[in-house]
Amino acid sequence: MLASGAGAMNRGGGSLARRKSGLMVWDLGVRLFHWALVISFALAAYTGFLGPRNWLNLHLIAGIAAGALVIFRLVWGWLGSRYARFHSFPLSPAAMKAHLAAIIAEYRQAEQRHPGSQRLGAPPRHHPEAGHNPLGAAMVYALLLAIALTVLTGAVALGGVVKQGPLAFLVSFDLGLLIRDLHQVLAIALLCMVGAHLAGVIFESRREKINLAAAMITGRKPIPGAATPEPHQAARPGMAAIVLLVLAAAIVPATIALARLPGRGVPPATLDPIYAKECGACHFAYPPSLAPAAVWISMMEGLDRHFGENADLDATTAAHIRDYLTANAAEKWDTRPAHLFRQRDPADPLRITATPFWQRLHRQLPEALFKLPAVGAKGACNACHRDAGTGRFDPQSILVPPILVPTEARP
Amino acid sequence: MIISRLMQRRVRRSAFILLLLTAPTALAMAAAGTAQQQVLDQYAQQAKTADAGFNGFSADRGKAFFLAQSAAGHGDTPSCSTCHTTDPRQMGHTRAGKEINPMALSRTPDRFGDINKTEKWFARNCDTVLGRACTPREKGDFITYMVGL
Repeated sequence: MLASGAGAMNRGGGSLARRKSGLMVWDLGVRLFHWALVISFALAAYTGFLGPRNWLNLHLIAGIAAGALVIFRLVWGWLGSRYARFHSFPLSPAAMKAHLAAIIAEYRQAEQRHPGSQRLGAPPRHHPEAGHNPLGAAMVYALLLAIALTVLTGAVALGGVVKQGPLAFLVSFDLGLLIRDLHQVLAIALLCMVGAHLAGVIFESRREKINLAAAMITGRKPIPGAATPEPHQAARPGMAAIVLLVLAAAIVPATIALARLPGRGVPPATLDPIYAKECGACHFAYPPSLAPAAVWISMMEGLDRHFGENADLDATTAAHIRDYLTANAAEKWDTRPAHLFRQRDPADPLRITATPFWQRLHRQLPEALFKLPAVGAKGACNACHRDAGTGRFDPQSILVPPILVPTEARP
Repeated sequence: MIISRLMQRRVRRSAFILLLLTAPTALAMAAAGTAQQQVLDQYAQQAKTADAGFNGFSADRGKAFFLAQSAAGHGDTPSCSTCHTTDPRQMGHTRAGKEINPMALSRTPDRFGDINKTEKWFARNCDTVLGRACTPREKGDFITYMVGL
């Protein structure tokens, strides 16, 4: 037992030594970049596709990290060490074709030697790639481009739809929605590309008999015939740090300054005091941007039959409130609630919780939630949307009170 | 000797401070009392005009009125107690989920002190619960019940 254990340790030590003796291909910058990108991509994909809406901040952190990593990689492709540099792996359709042809030729040779066998014959290759093979290089550029586009479309969608971030002052809701669709298409494409990247790594690892995933951890590839010293290009981390600092000094303050500008078509955060007092006496004072003017007018005309109660006001107060509501109705604003609450239920046009949008977004919530003392009723938006009074309804402001019987009354 | 004199002085001083602190509250309560009394006087006058045999408001009638069930209203709120609960000293809840301060004067000292506000809510809620306006006697009974709680 002891002896075999010692043997295993020796073997382990031996393989480590072999790895150490391999050619240093991926410098620390490339490796840190790669695994940090794996983490941020996984987090962004999880929070984007599966996470609840109020995890948006995690999604934003992941997206910002991915964007920063792409910028780092662009700088490192210029100032990194030999195999990190873009000119060491040019995008070359001719080389890609040749690479594919070589793979097909290997299959043909294997077929001739062992008819019927699908195993790769793997005849000794004269030039196993030290850095990226031509197909891998193309994938690197495709991934960098797709991630950059996903981050940019995400920022546009965030600005237009959620009215947050550096583009909130600029992007309309309609454009934001369109770009959000593009963001989602890009995200799905990225998932496919990551799958293809993994398949390529597995395929080439078996073909070249080199563990390429391990190489991305250790940085070394045990390449036969690589003992011949190659013209080495050292990384210039100092220069890279200066370039990155200059970029950060330009991008970060500009982004923060833009994000502080008032959002395009975002209503003021405070309500008319008379409206807030009179209407807020019985219910959450709905910001006027949550209903179109026509709804507010019929609401004010039917105050004596207001959702099953008489809510009459004196004529002066009623006129003041009607003017305020119609002047600030949904048509005037560009927020997501202002757009989506314009569609009303024809059978119950005045009721916000009857709108198709409200129904769709709250369908998974159990009926018992709305009966909690902390909530009280479906129309108490501010019980969960802590910023409901502003009319913004930011995803990050959602805080649903805990409910002990979550399965009760679920459809 | 000195200590006990000091203690005496301290006691006297704290009594004085206590008086200073409580005097405005007591004054406010007395003022509130008169405000409610003025509202009640107005309803009493109206009640006398409507019915010559009117002989004062009754907290018991007010309580019965508060707890009564009616089928003539808008339907969702058959009683005052639907929203205000059967104990007016408790917080109530509107159907829209908003809390209502207790109706009892002991819990909400400015209740029924403003005739316009009082009239606004009687006009709304009598129609909602009963499907009609309340009589001056009903209003006075209701307030008398709440003032005494």
